[in-house]
Amino acid sequence: MTKKAQNQLSDGTMISDLIDLETREVQLRTLADREIYDLEQERLFGKTWLLLGHETEIPNAGDFIQRYMGDDSVLVARAKDGEVHVSLNVCPHRGMKITTSESGNTQVHTCIYHGWAFKSDGQFLGSPVADQCMHGKIKSKEELGLTKARVTLYGGLIFATWNIDGPSFEDFLGDAKWYYDMLFCRTDAGLEVAGPPQRFIVRANWKTAGEQSAADGFHTLTLHRWLGEVGNYSKKGEGEGKGSDLTEEMFGAEVSSPHGHALRCIDLSRKIRRLTGKDPSELSVEERLRTLPPPGMTAEMVDQLKNHFSDEQLEVMAWMPPQVGGMFPNIIFAFLYIPQPDGTVVGSLALHTYVPKGPDKLEFTNWILVEKGTPPELKENMIMQTTQLLGTSGMVEQDDSDTWPHMTLSAKGAQGKKLTLKYQAMYETGKPEGWPGPGIVNEGFTKDDTQWHWWLYWHELMTSES
Amino acid sequence: MSAHNITTDEQSVPIAIGSETYNEMLQFYYTEASLLDNIRLEEWGQMLAEDLKYGVPIRQTRMVKDTDATVVRSVQHYHDDYRSIMGRILRLSGKSAWAEDPPSRVRRFVSNIQVSKRENSDEFEVVSYLLITRNRFDDDFFDLIPCERHDLVRKTETGLKLAKREVILDQALLGTPNLAIFL
Repeated sequence: MTKKAQNQLSDGTMISDLIDLETREVQLRTLADREIYDLEQERLFGKTWLLLGHETEIPNAGDFIQRYMGDDSVLVARAKDGEVHVSLNVCPHRGMKITTSESGNTQVHTCIYHGWAFKSDGQFLGSPVADQCMHGKIKSKEELGLTKARVTLYGGLIFATWNIDGPSFEDFLGDAKWYYDMLFCRTDAGLEVAGPPQRFIVRANWKTAGEQSAADGFHTLTLHRWLGEVGNYSKKGEGEGKGSDLTEEMFGAEVSSPHGHALRCIDLSRKIRRLTGKDPSELSVEERLRTLPPPGMTAEMVDQLKNHFSDEQLEVMAWMPPQVGGMFPNIIFAFLYIPQPDGTVVGSLALHTYVPKGPDKLEFTNWILVEKGTPPELKENMIMQTTQLLGTSGMVEQDDSDTWPHMTLSAKGAQGKKLTLKYQAMYETGKPEGWPGPGIVNEGFTKDDTQWHWWLYWHELMTSES
Repeated sequence: MSAHNITTDEQSVPIAIGSETYNEMLQFYYTEASLLDNIRLEEWGQMLAEDLKYGVPIRQTRMVKDTDATVVRSVQHYHDDYRSIMGRILRLSGKSAWAEDPPSRVRRFVSNIQVSKRENSDEFEVVSYLLITRNRFDDDFFDLIPCERHDLVRKTETGLKLAKREVILDQALLGTPNLAIFL
């Protein structure tokens, strides 16, 4: 393939022209095109760090789960020494899957086809009838192991990449790590999964969900309007206006990243005022954190925060903590303070990946998280609430999964594909006064900047030569 | 079948197919399917007991020796009680439940009903097969949701009430974009 061919589609369109950097528009065809999808598998899913699960899913030596990195099935396994390994779930012999189970425990993974056997770390052990040397003598055993991905654990989350010599995970997160730590590294014992993830298919291109994850706050007002009409936000505090309008919930600060990560930091003032009857500015950081602990934590657990965070981070956590956002390319997190009918708040912690399954299909994978140290009763409440609001039957996200397929259908029309996705609602504010955190930060009503930065990184990777 | 079994240690007695009690139960299930298919959700809500537990476990593909692990209840697709189901009905009856507005065309085929009565109680354990066909918009295909339901149905002064339901789906990777419909 010539260098030129790599940078253009078969109809002559330059990859770089799929996005108009001046007018902040993205061609709608990106949400359905097979060629673009295939390039993404190499240039995005073959290059960036990808979320595969949480180490509490495989606590014991020999435990494994089967997950996906782009289109590729991978084996995520814990070896005898406790290390987590990620290997391509494809037998190097004839291409059969090494495991067809979603999860399990075994010291040796044996391909059911010809019996080639591998350790949890992907190392080739041998093939049956050893004296016949059925793997031949051309390649050494060391060369016949499973293809290994590079792995990192962050807050117990398992990330892997095929980019063996690429940027570290820390570099990939960049400034955004300062904020992600507030979600994933809060307590002494750390997070755990409530169970295996929910998994279901949505007939839409993965980017319909991916770009929304990069902190689209605006859609909440319309698509999730029921929350204000009959849902958790229909009861308002005194002096907070009437009706089903969710506009007030959309104010805060939004963090963008040159690597497409995004966090919506939503102002807690109204909730704290509702709980205490006081102006939040009269309360210390600690008082605010005890009044309204980070979602999924109790007031008793707030002491632990000091072990993990700087004063500046604690200030943000008590003022405008990150609550919804994404990690490039296909992750969304929701760490929500959900108002209850009795005026209290119960947290919901969820993490999704939108796994590409072809240009017009994605797998929605939804993990529900809890802190290990959270009392069992609160954990149970959180799991029920999260299931009822997010994921498969979630009353919020069932509206999202019904919307994305229409966007992919639109992108197939001869005329529709000529339209553009527009990210032209731009911030003109900058950081909130006194904001102590790093990164590209803007204050006010939610805007398009974070999603635009998501597309800019997509553009950077899709047009990069290597 | 331990993975599918949600019955308690209490003794239960099989109810003969075709008996008066069985037919009464059959009527309950046909009525329920009809109300749900026709989106008469508030009327369906009246068939529910106020101590309802409603769950749809996750399924996992596992080896035969790990059959028990194919049904996962730690995290489920639905994890509800009476209050939350009524909340869902309220949402679906409101103005902005886009996932079902316009609604799916749904048909619930109920079959293979087996009933047993818990001794010394007014409660019946009912197992039924359910095949849901779901069609949306201009789709030229149907989402199929085959499953097995394990219910507890209680005889009360105001008729039969559903007190517990656990739905065992036949898919590990669910092929419909959401469960905005009741199973």
